[in-house]
Amino acid sequence: MGKIGDAVSELHKLDMESEQSGWLRELHPLPKLAVTLFFLVLTVSFGKYDLPGLLKMGVYLIVLFVLGDVSLKLLLKRMRAVLVLVCLMGAVNPFFDRTAAFTLGNFVVTGGMLSAATLALKGIYGVSAAYLLIVTTSMGDICYALRRLHVPRMFVTILMLVYRYIIVLLKETERMTDAYALRAPGQRGIARKTWGTFAGQLLLRSMDRAQTVYDSMVLRGYNGNFHLRHKKAAGHSDYAYAFVWGAVLVFIRVI
Amino acid sequence: MSVLEVENLSFSYGNPREKFQKQVLENINIQVSAGESIGLIGENGAGKSTFLKLLTGLLGLEAGMVRVAGLDMKKENLKDIRAEIGYVFQDSDSQLFMSTVYEDVAFAPRNYGKSEEEVQAAVLSALKQVHMEEKKDRQTYRLSGGEKKLAAIATVLAVGAKLILLDEPSAALDPKNRRNLIRILNSLEGAKIIASHDLDFVLDTCQRVILLSGGQVAADGKAEEILTDRKLLEQNGLELPLSFSWQPGM
Repeated sequence: MGKIGDAVSELHKLDMESEQSGWLRELHPLPKLAVTLFFLVLTVSFGKYDLPGLLKMGVYLIVLFVLGDVSLKLLLKRMRAVLVLVCLMGAVNPFFDRTAAFTLGNFVVTGGMLSAATLALKGIYGVSAAYLLIVTTSMGDICYALRRLHVPRMFVTILMLVYRYIIVLLKETERMTDAYALRAPGQRGIARKTWGTFAGQLLLRSMDRAQTVYDSMVLRGYNGNFHLRHKKAAGHSDYAYAFVWGAVLVFIRVI
Repeated sequence: MSVLEVENLSFSYGNPREKFQKQVLENINIQVSAGESIGLIGENGAGKSTFLKLLTGLLGLEAGMVRVAGLDMKKENLKDIRAEIGYVFQDSDSQLFMSTVYEDVAFAPRNYGKSEEEVQAAVLSALKQVHMEEKKDRQTYRLSGGEKKLAAIATVLAVGAKLILLDEPSAALDPKNRRNLIRILNSLEGAKIIASHDLDFVLDTCQRVILLSGGQVAADGKAEEILTDRKLLEQNGLELPLSFSWQPGM
């Protein structure tokens, strides 16, 4: 299987994970999304030198990894590229901010080092929290919860359609690259002079597809309004989940 | 009772003032009765897809009249017309855009303002008709080609369409799924227009055949008469269905 095939397979696996049974997965999507967003807001609110405070917020992720029976190894494998990127976000801080914050034996820890670590940790927390939400909640449910939180309709519709058609687009790209490779033996990747044509073809096919999808929606009464529903209403355990986490996260933030 | 009346329908692509205007349909007259199953055949470019798109209002009428379930094809009637007519696209991936089968089949009933109880009843009934009840919670893109086709048919059944239009429904189906689709289409009560190059499939699903050629109706009659008329088919760029033309040793 090629790289594109691997990507499609990973998306399939993510979906299957979100469909598994389990307490966390069966919770209503609204409290899960609300708690995730609250966690992200609190995480971002920490000061750039407040590494100890930020470390305490890790409790949330650890508990969810355990409750959701989510594999940390898989997270590291799937998100490695993004995680490397977020770790590098503050890489230059130590060069600009050289004021000493504290010493560890003979080693002087500078403000730049602290802010770099804080920034990286915020990024890692953000990616992990989003990942935990995705592997425990299907995209349809996330979109439903986003609408309940009054996220603009257009944004949710686009998110849903992009997620639905990313696989179709990836498969289309795979077909085109396979067709190219079969007629260009010995060539590694797609020749630079062909990139333009290749991208153009993909764009035209995507536009064709978009038109047909829109026609299909219009023929079934679509008037710009996606009616998203969830199979069950939020119950006591769902409210309790949101309330307990809200209280715990605020407590961690203020101590 | 007619579910579809088409009178003097003509259509061309391109602006009338442009030099390269292409006449695709010319003076089409057709009536479809309730429950009738019609095969729409013709070589590539005969105007089959254009005709289907005109019936759904995806293309605007230029000349002639289209009436669906007693409603004239006009902008103000489009929403009501589309509740009476269902279109199953050739590529099911274009039709199944929601995350799960249930959500996709529920899309139209919700758009037509049904209550959630009515939506659920409509979805389950539609899925039952195509034997897909067990797959209602499956992600749409993880269905097989045959299942996608059946789910796509369920999406139009859920609104109780009186007329179903199917564009090349047997394309890319393996023999088992093709047989299953034939069985299911034959069990549906509503009227159907099936545009297809697969003449054996048309023979198995339709009692009446309309042959389009050069944008005109070249023949309209019983399926077994038209589909066994070698001369007529060959004059219009087609061939006998394989089940009639196959001989041992071929």
